[in-house]
Amino acid sequence: MANATETKKVLDDSDITDLFEHRVSLDLTPENARFTRSGGGLISLEVTQPSGKVEFFERIVPIRAFPISSPETFIAIREPDSQMGGRGAEIGMIETLDIFPEEVSRMIRDELEHRYFTPAIQKIHSFREKFGYCYWDVTTTAGRVEFIMNNPGSNIRTLEDGRVFMYDIDGNCFTIENPAALDKHSYKKVEIYL
Amino acid sequence: MRLLFDLSPADKAAFEAASAGERILYCLPFDCRHDKRVDGRMVFTDKAIYKVIDAEVEARWDFSELSDFSVEVLYGCGAFFAKVNGNTTRLCRFISGRNLTRYSVIVEACNRITGGDTEHTVVSDAPERYCPKCGRPFIVNTHICPYCQSKRESYRKLWAMTKGLRLMMMVPLITAFIGMAITFVVPILQRTLIDDYIQNSNFDAKENWFLHFFLIVAAIVGFDMLSKVISMVQGRIAAVAGNRFTRFLRTLLFEKIQLLSMSSVQKKSTGDLMGRINNDVAVVQNFITNLLPTYFAQLLSFFLGLVLILSMSPVMSAFVFVPIPFVVWAIYLFRHMMRRLNIKQWMKGNRTNRTLQDILSGIRVVKAYGREEAAIEEFTDCTNQQAHQNEHTAKVFDTVFPLLGFALRFGSYLIMWYGNVMLFYGAMTVGELNQFNTYASIIYNPLMQITLIPRNISAFATSFGKILEILEEEPDVADARKPEHFKFKGDVSVQNVTFGYESATPVLRNVSVEVKAGEMIGIVGHSGCGKSTLINLIMRMYDPTDGVIEIDGVNIKDISQQSLRSQMGVVLQETHLFSGSVRDNIKYAKPYATDAEVIRAARAANAHDFIMRLPEGYNTIVGEKGYSLSGGERQRIAIARALIHDPSILILDEATAALDTETEKLIQDAIDKMTDNRTTFAIAHRLSTLRNADKILVIDHGRIAEFGTHKELLDQRGIYFKLVMAQTRAALEKG
Repeated sequence: MANATETKKVLDDSDITDLFEHRVSLDLTPENARFTRSGGGLISLEVTQPSGKVEFFERIVPIRAFPISSPETFIAIREPDSQMGGRGAEIGMIETLDIFPEEVSRMIRDELEHRYFTPAIQKIHSFREKFGYCYWDVTTTAGRVEFIMNNPGSNIRTLEDGRVFMYDIDGNCFTIENPAALDKHSYKKVEIYL
Repeated sequence: MRLLFDLSPADKAAFEAASAGERILYCLPFDCRHDKRVDGRMVFTDKAIYKVIDAEVEARWDFSELSDFSVEVLYGCGAFFAKVNGNTTRLCRFISGRNLTRYSVIVEACNRITGGDTEHTVVSDAPERYCPKCGRPFIVNTHICPYCQSKRESYRKLWAMTKGLRLMMMVPLITAFIGMAITFVVPILQRTLIDDYIQNSNFDAKENWFLHFFLIVAAIVGFDMLSKVISMVQGRIAAVAGNRFTRFLRTLLFEKIQLLSMSSVQKKSTGDLMGRINNDVAVVQNFITNLLPTYFAQLLSFFLGLVLILSMSPVMSAFVFVPIPFVVWAIYLFRHMMRRLNIKQWMKGNRTNRTLQDILSGIRVVKAYGREEAAIEEFTDCTNQQAHQNEHTAKVFDTVFPLLGFALRFGSYLIMWYGNVMLFYGAMTVGELNQFNTYASIIYNPLMQITLIPRNISAFATSFGKILEILEEEPDVADARKPEHFKFKGDVSVQNVTFGYESATPVLRNVSVEVKAGEMIGIVGHSGCGKSTLINLIMRMYDPTDGVIEIDGVNIKDISQQSLRSQMGVVLQETHLFSGSVRDNIKYAKPYATDAEVIRAARAANAHDFIMRLPEGYNTIVGEKGYSLSGGERQRIAIARALIHDPSILILDEATAALDTETEKLIQDAIDKMTDNRTTFAIAHRLSTLRNADKILVIDHGRIAEFGTHKELLDQRGIYFKLVMAQTRAALEKG
């Protein structure tokens, strides 16, 4: 630990800082963060640093810290990743969206929904296994979808709260919010893997 | 890879109405909008991008107002962005796995169009990953759609694999024939015995009564012995055939895995590959060499038995079949339940294994945090669940199957009743009744087996599918048709290389470096900036997406991989020593090295000294179960291993990162010795390791940021300068 602090101290001055500097993530509140619609229909942010410095970001990206266990809390606001694989830095963190005015939280939620596309399965029409691949035909909140899974044993994950996450061969994710609420036929098809 | 998808007639009409006869260059699906999956198209012409969906042009962007195209990977989807008049805008979203690579190519294509080049369309030679017929994905790195591929095709491949074993596989069939003949003959003999000799003990009625009696008994005993001998022979041959098939298939699989490129092997876990080589092969082998011939034999005996009982007494034959509809119906009802129970049991077992492996391999962490109780609890929970499941499955099976067996044999009680009536009226002899009963029981056996067939076939198909998946994979890094072999001088030239593992976000972009033979190049940059990737490309663990890498002016794609790797020495940060002696490990890259060479390499690696202090010198066993060496010691053995075949190109991937200063000094000396007159690429976080480097290459976000001598770069006062300053300061503060 001591080393880390020392190193940090060394790095805090002179021209080497910018190489190692990581933006200090702020707790974003309605007081220091002003979210607006960007010209391109995305989200812009004007943030006031504790130093009083005001920064403007043409586009920010909200990312869930716990997209599966608690999608509504701890939302990081980051600069978008650049195309070069350079990772956008975190500007700040919103612990809960509720502290923001309705329109802001709606805007951020909306953007989150664009980012996390996990249709919930409502009905399972058919499930077939052929040569080790499973073919699912389901109705989801995103419409009727056919998807393929290999190795259902490791691609169906049941959480402690009973929700089920299923990953298809392309890495896309489907959920079953409450397996017990599925109709009997659908439930029977998925039951063995739960 | 397909970049020009079809437009539906309605969409096409809409597009044509909105555009003025523009030429379509690309057309990609966009299949995700708001929270719905949709079927839309992004049409790219030489003038604009059209977003077409449901027979409507939803949006049109002129290329003149667009810039900064990019693709972002989101969760479960991806998005295509561009700046529209300077404002970043999301043009469309798509289902990620499917179209990500297509859109990444399109980014390049759009850049070309906005750059004014509409003549040269981008052609992607990346292989198409989705079946053109059904749209489902191919098996990784193949052009096989597991869905469309007919079963016949798979079975044809399987048939080809049994070449050389077919004769042996016929043996069970042949012996089954003979065995069956015996089973059919013996009851006839028994009948004669019972009817003519036991029941009718009139010694004088026939000549040579005793002789005949003796002959018949002897024949029965003889046939019985013969059938035992046959089953003995069959068992032995089946064992040989089974083992040969297993050996053949395992070798085939293992060879294939060795040939596959790093990228495809890395996608599969070691456990998964081991499972395929061990378990899946065993399942397939058992099916092919044991079950399949048995099924044929059973089928045959069923029909033969059927003919025989029908010819003896149609009425009594009917009794045999009375319970069958009920049994078949019951089996049909239980089928799903049985399958479910089996899968559940398998999954619980799997979970126990996984937990066990996880905890045992992390035992140090468990102990360090005092979490033994939690580990015990977790494991107990797994085994408890598994035990409950097994109990439940066993209970159900042990209830259902005896009941089914009883139901199936219910016919025999009817036969007994009817037969006795016939006996009473003299319409049948005791011998005949016995013969009929024996034949009828021949039929029951195959009938009971039928219940197991679907399960065995599905287990076989799954395992065989997994094996085929590997066998059919085309290695994506393959030797050229006529690969070149030559002794390297060591000039390395990297020209405009672009590479991405999943090709959505390139890890390296347009990288060019010229290195002269014998130079030492230090590679520096943040972790994840692409240093190791560059080295992997030079070693040809992967092929660049774009650009060329040459050694002595020859494209490495044209050099035989064997020749390429045998002239490269590699020392990685994580040193893997194989189970075996120190000597074996040093000789790994050059199996025929003499002991003198081994010692010379070890000396050069500063390893000789500590090796001599080991109890058994160079013969000390190291590796997972062997003598435990320190990190620095292992590292020096790895350096000796890299040196023994006198490579022209040496690669050091953070070879000294995990070592203390003193050990580093020893290794540094070793490295200094070994880098003389060899082209060397050394990745290092500790810049002191690179003090002898001729040139330093600084990589930043996948691009070459700086390239030059230590002095030149210091003068530039760029990234390298900052890194050096930072490390020096840190060292000073610490010191």
